Amino acid sequence: MGMGMVKDCCMALGLLLACGGVFADDAAVWIGIKDAAWNEMYPERIEAMRAKGDAVRGESEFVICQGCHRPGAVGRADGSYPRLAGQHVSVLIKQMTDVQTERRSNPKMAPFIHLHEILPQHVADIAVYLHALPVPANQGQGPGDKLERGRLLYEKDCASCHGNRGEGSDEKFYPRVSGQHFKYLLRESQTIRDGKRRNANPVMVKVIKSYTDEDIAAVADFMSRLPVRP
Amino acid sequence: MRSSFLGCLSRWILPVLLLLSALPFNASATDARQIATTLCAACHGLDGNSSDPANPKIAGMDVAYLAKQLKYFASGERRNEIMAGIVATLGAADFLPLAAYFSSQKPLPGKVKDARLAELGKRIYEDGNTETGVPACAGCHQSSGAGNARFPRLAGQHQAYTLQQLGEYKTGRRATDRLMVSVAQRLSTDEMKALAEYIAGL
Repeated sequence: MGMGMVKDCCMALGLLLACGGVFADDAAVWIGIKDAAWNEMYPERIEAMRAKGDAVRGESEFVICQGCHRPGAVGRADGSYPRLAGQHVSVLIKQMTDVQTERRSNPKMAPFIHLHEILPQHVADIAVYLHALPVPANQGQGPGDKLERGRLLYEKDCASCHGNRGEGSDEKFYPRVSGQHFKYLLRESQTIRDGKRRNANPVMVKVIKSYTDEDIAAVADFMSRLPVRP
Repeated sequence: MRSSFLGCLSRWILPVLLLLSALPFNASATDARQIATTLCAACHGLDGNSSDPANPKIAGMDVAYLAKQLKYFASGERRNEIMAGIVATLGAADFLPLAAYFSSQKPLPGKVKDARLAELGKRIYEDGNTETGVPACAGCHQSSGAGNARFPRLAGQHQAYTLQQLGEYKTGRRATDRLMVSVAQRLSTDEMKALAEYIAGL
């Protein structure tokens, strides 16, 4: 092992530690996950995570998002655009920078989150703003005919990460699913199961790989009915 | 005392006065009106409410937005032969006072000619098109179409002008705002017509 390599390792460690005091613990969490690529740290994301978000600035920067995500970031019940209000800051930053750097394919959103428009500081501002928004209890729900099956699956496979009440975890980058529109949960769960959401947690892909369309619909319906404020 | 005052005058005050007089001062409000009368009024109207639908109404638009457009015409970033020729006769220092002059003019309402078309336009303006990823125009330009420094006022604009600009964004001829290029590329011709109709009535 040459000196150069030692130096490189030290620099990498330094970069990790440089992720900022508040995120040092998060860094330890993601690096401990076996397939860490889903939660990869790259310059745009590190910069956004280190920046101190400002909700007032975030509100004015969000105007270019609200044409789709709607004022108040309530999304649409038809699932075309997710609800972002109340989502965890870490999750919002990850998704914004993943789309920005094409780690998550989203051609509709890509031009609006492009670095020409949204800098890492803006990502931080918008995330802080969105997290603080109230979550109205009028999210789109499923048909309600397989709720017991959905509950069993959720408790067996999903609750350990997304929480008993669908609250997710800011610390672990797990999205909050309560208050989200059924049709969005349905579509994204299918996309993740089919391996088409490139930035999905591989642990989740593995867990739901054997789910039928019915299973997915049942659990998405159950999630869509979780209370919005845990 | 007297000699030191004269010395101070010759050594410091006079050179400063001379230097100040040589600086290009911004055009004053009266100059701006003068420029507007001789250079702009024939197409845009002296009050910025053009009567020819091919020429935009610019009354009441945000001052920073108008000044930015003049800069774009001068640099060629926004391509328009007529405007390039006119702006070339101005100095960059005239842009802001001229923009301020038209910004302070009262915008007159436009006229909707096809109420059904405007109704379709309203849906796109307020809701976008979720199939094609067209965002609601209201998200940036506001429901009222009043606009601001970044997103221009649209309310009451001539249909023909709105349509022409959307077309230029779609082809990329106008690319001064990348977001608008993306939005226009997602709009159909029918949607553009409907939007132009609705915007005229805002």
